[in-house]
Amino acid sequence: MAGTGHAHLRLDDPDILLRVRDLVVEFPARKGQVVHAVSGVSIDLARGETLGVVGESGCGKTTLGRAVMRLEDAQSGTIEFREHDLFGLGGSELAVKRRDMQMIFQDPVSSLNPRRRVRDLVREGLEIWGNESGPFSDARVEAILAAVGLAGESVGERRPHEFSGGQCQRICIARALVMDPEVLILDEPVSALDVSVQAQILNLLEDLKVEFGLTMVFVSHDLAVVRNVSDRVMVMYLGKVCEVANTERLFDAPAHPYSRALLASIPGHELNLPDASTLISGELPSPIEPPSGCRFRTRCPMATEECAEREPELREVAVGQFVACHHA
Amino acid sequence: MSAVARLTVRLVVVALAVSFASFSLLSAAPGDPAAAKAGFSATPERVAEIRSELGLDDPFLVRYGDWLAGVVQGNFGTSVLNQQPASKLIGDAMPHTVELMILAQIIALGVAIPAGVYSAQRPNGWFDRLAGAVSFGMLATPPFVLGIYLAFVFAVRLDWLPAVATDLPGLLEDPVENLRQMILPALTLASGMVAIYVRLLRTDLIETLQQDFVLMAQSRGYSRRRVLWRHAFRPSAFSLLTATGLTTAGLLGGALIAETLFAVPGVGRLAVTAIFTEDYDVVMGVVLLLSVAFVVTNFVVDALYTVLDPRVRHGSR
Amino acid sequence: MAVVDAPTSRTGDRAPGFGRPSMGFIFWLSVTWILLVVLAAALADVVPLRDPDALGVRTGEIERFETPGKNAWFGGDGQGRDLFAQVIHGARPAMVLSAAVTSIGGSLGVLVGVVAGYFRGRTDSVIMGVAEIMFAFPAIILLFAVSAIWGMTMAILIPAMAILAVPGYARIVRGVTIALAERDFVDAARAMGASRSRVVIKELLPLVALPAIAFGFLGFGLVIATEGALAFLGLGLEQRTWGSLIAGGQGLIREAPHLALIPATAMFLTIMAFNYVGDGIRELIDPRPIVVGRKRKADGHDPAISAASEALLSIRNLTTSFPTAGGTVTAVDGVSLDVRTGRSVGIVGESGSGKTMLLRSITGAFPVLGVQRTGRVVVDGTDLLTASPAQRSTMLGTEIGIVSQNPLTALNPVRTVGSQLIEVMRVHREISKAAARARAIESLAQVGIPQPDQRVDMYPHQLSGGMRQRVTIALALANEPRLLLADEPTTALDVTIQDQILRLLSALCEQRDMALVLVTHDLQVVRGWTDDVAVMYGGQIVEAGPTAAVFDDPQHQYTQALLASTPRLDLRPHSRLASIEGQPPSLVAPPPGCRFAARCTIADDRCRAEDPMPVQIRDREFRCWYPGTGKAT
Repeated sequence: MAGTGHAHLRLDDPDILLRVRDLVVEFPARKGQVVHAVSGVSIDLARGETLGVVGESGCGKTTLGRAVMRLEDAQSGTIEFREHDLFGLGGSELAVKRRDMQMIFQDPVSSLNPRRRVRDLVREGLEIWGNESGPFSDARVEAILAAVGLAGESVGERRPHEFSGGQCQRICIARALVMDPEVLILDEPVSALDVSVQAQILNLLEDLKVEFGLTMVFVSHDLAVVRNVSDRVMVMYLGKVCEVANTERLFDAPAHPYSRALLASIPGHELNLPDASTLISGELPSPIEPPSGCRFRTRCPMATEECAEREPELREVAVGQFVACHHA
Repeated sequence: MSAVARLTVRLVVVALAVSFASFSLLSAAPGDPAAAKAGFSATPERVAEIRSELGLDDPFLVRYGDWLAGVVQGNFGTSVLNQQPASKLIGDAMPHTVELMILAQIIALGVAIPAGVYSAQRPNGWFDRLAGAVSFGMLATPPFVLGIYLAFVFAVRLDWLPAVATDLPGLLEDPVENLRQMILPALTLASGMVAIYVRLLRTDLIETLQQDFVLMAQSRGYSRRRVLWRHAFRPSAFSLLTATGLTTAGLLGGALIAETLFAVPGVGRLAVTAIFTEDYDVVMGVVLLLSVAFVVTNFVVDALYTVLDPRVRHGSR
Repeated sequence: MAVVDAPTSRTGDRAPGFGRPSMGFIFWLSVTWILLVVLAAALADVVPLRDPDALGVRTGEIERFETPGKNAWFGGDGQGRDLFAQVIHGARPAMVLSAAVTSIGGSLGVLVGVVAGYFRGRTDSVIMGVAEIMFAFPAIILLFAVSAIWGMTMAILIPAMAILAVPGYARIVRGVTIALAERDFVDAARAMGASRSRVVIKELLPLVALPAIAFGFLGFGLVIATEGALAFLGLGLEQRTWGSLIAGGQGLIREAPHLALIPATAMFLTIMAFNYVGDGIRELIDPRPIVVGRKRKADGHDPAISAASEALLSIRNLTTSFPTAGGTVTAVDGVSLDVRTGRSVGIVGESGSGKTMLLRSITGAFPVLGVQRTGRVVVDGTDLLTASPAQRSTMLGTEIGIVSQNPLTALNPVRTVGSQLIEVMRVHREISKAAARARAIESLAQVGIPQPDQRVDMYPHQLSGGMRQRVTIALALANEPRLLLADEPTTALDVTIQDQILRLLSALCEQRDMALVLVTHDLQVVRGWTDDVAVMYGGQIVEAGPTAAVFDDPQHQYTQALLASTPRLDLRPHSRLASIEGQPPSLVAPPPGCRFAARCTIADDRCRAEDPMPVQIRDREFRCWYPGTGKAT
């Protein structure tokens, strides 16, 4: 299956920490069918950058994040993290090579083992990698908890159910930071939180990014949030990449029809776009039998025969803006 | 593979495994069927003759194979006791056990559904607490204890019903007498099940009654009765269906006790007698039958689910 | 039963507060009984009892079939043996057997279950296949046969019963494990580099232990009962157990009922105690947070119905409260609101603000019992709080339509779309089935569902989220109501579908001249789609007015803070968002002054002491001592 191209990959940049090429992830469905969750997606991540991955349900953004973390098995592709290809690795070898990449999940409460104390949860990483208990790790745990805004002696002693959603998410972040990671993959980290709490966590992430030198992949369905945190944004639809662009550029001048429809659908937006109803129609096709050629064509007002026959590849339409569309 | 094919495979695997294990178990038993058959005063030569007649000297696998071959042709062996074919004995006993089970389920569901529904409507009300306490008590009472107690009250003290079944007529021959004799054992069996059903239904219904679609139905001005029976009950009924299937499949333990206590000539009692008299052909036959019945019952429950629950039917669950 | 794809409910910044279920009196009674039984088992030889084997008839101590009394507390049997001593001694085999079978069978079962549940795949299939075969064995016949053949000693019975117990534990533990393995913390452990065995041991087993122990307690009772059944059938243990006593006493039930009934009672009480403790432990792990109060009739509202005002929906001083484990929660506190025909009002707030309860207070459908509402909720002249059930039913069915949040759970999953549409029409109107069906298809078309004649016979799960929400809207509009209540109608939907649905709602309201009340947490939805807005916090409306005015010039500090903390498209990337520190107020014991004072940047002592009264200035309303830019009024 043709991937959606590599035009947007910065191959000469020495500062690229993570480079994923042509990743394909499929899940078995009933009757021998297959769900095409991610179909040939490539991304790269430069040091210190935040890449926002945005899209609606079924676009594969969560699966992409999980596959890069190797929590799901991809069918094909490469996942180069600091010179090592993580694809196909398993067991302890994978664990070692992936150590500096951590993940934050959507539901903060479900991400923490309810039986264990916060101190043990945060320290888990150190225990796995051999820096057992002792004053070194205790101090480090406390320092990290303070860094995420949970200072205090009693915090470590308590269990997750005594904390609110926002505080649990801080604990998850602390747990990830204790490993001193380089790359952080965040899967909808604020979607389950109230607006005011969401703001706290987003501010926290910005601060930590600077303090710990983090590079992030931020997966979300909320465009406003993505705009707030990302340097670059990738728009996905039904397992494919539609557009990759610098944040401001994407929101100022979205080129892909789907990006335009997405932005136009934001209630109360004040962007220079026509009504969303003129930009998109119909419903999401099944990921088991996605449309041929361009997967967005069944809902796109500009679709032609070419769109059904040939799958579009990403190409540069402006500086730093890449679009996969025959008509953009 | 189609569902029927899968069922057949499961049946065959289970039947083979169960029968093989049972056969091994019984073969390892001390005691000599040949000697038993020959009688007290038989000579050793006579016993040896009978032993080779019965094929008891053959290696284990051959004997098992012979037994299997016989089963496939419908021959379950002969009862040591009265020389009748085991299949006939089992066949005569089966209807009584089935009737007992059906009666028990009817009683159990008939009591449990209204009780569960009413409890769920007024959680922590007086009825709920009472029903809960009674269910709890019934669960804690072993069936044989309850049976003894029932017999004591109804047969000994009140003398309304017979304590044991004597000359049990078929249901179609003489329904009144049949039911008179079957009521107490059926009640014994039903008691444990009622408790399970009431608790299950109550919990399930309470949860369903909090679901969005029930609240929506209420917000449309439907009467409470309509909301309860036409909206809330159906999804909850599925758990009840599973439970009914499980209890039917697993009922055999309880049936055995009730049958023995009240002398109902069913399959359980037959098995007990057969074990005591080392009538192993009959035992094997009963064991095989019960394990097959278990698999088939589970299959039927699954099939019913598919038919009744549209979510399962269209594979979204 | 479980909802498959519900959106995660939003959490505010307060820890959930379910009080721990108090372990009641009976629980501790059961524990005490168990301890007594265990003591009896341990100390039977030491305690001064009569010799249970001593033939009282010979020694003259106890008479034949002596009834319970001062001489022999439980009476004597046919040979004058002391029943009390026999029962006490009977405790030991019961406890030893149960403990051994439960611990051996239980630990094996837990291990097998966790492995099956975590590793899934072929391992799971094999294990479950073997389990099914073991379930298919008629257990009691097997035990019976084992006993008959080899005699009944502990050494034989314990392994036999333990093996038979393994599949039961395995199945339960497997179920629990599968549910746990789907939770993110397992993924998180793997992501940090934990090996699979580490995950099983450190993450899963501790969580599985408690339900397994609860099940174990129930298992104790089962073992005792099974041994009893075997004894009853004539093949119990060689020792004297309660089961053998009962079996022996059964034949003499006429002459000496105490011989059977007393050991039966001992067995019954013991099993019950174990069951109760097991249940109690299970409650501890899985507390059902349903709020169940005792149902009381609504009381104390003003019977005078106001003269017909212009407002279609007029809420006056509505207070909604209900009892919980932690106290009485006042979810809606003195709310007043008017909604005019043809206007759309957005009610916006975070979790715990009371916005959903406000909507529910209009229809009166609550997921908990014991809800009290005071005040007035007048729709088209009728006060729903004082109306008769028949009036209420008619109003709800024909004047008010409601659309709820999660389209999957808002529709009855086991009934077709059509049958639900037809029902709502036939309950409230005189209409034939055929006509209703035709109208149902028509209404599906009106909400933009393609091929309505086919979809009308489909089940909810066969439709996509957007479709289902359209069906819910069709249901709400079926009887042409004048007021439409929408509770977070698009929260669970993709943003492009959200746009379609909001557009649809807006168009329909305009066509039919309906009033719309739209509850949401999403400020952007309110900004784009409503005429007026009411901001809720801590159960009160803190600010209300025309949407554009409120958003341009918010008066209440909370409104300002909320707007400032929402990431907006006109802000530059990496802008710092204003955040609101602290947590929402308790709804059980709200603070005396302004609800928002604890988190407000400009609150002073007056704010903390006095709850601001609502102030009305032209079409704006707010409750704040220092509205706007914060200068004193």
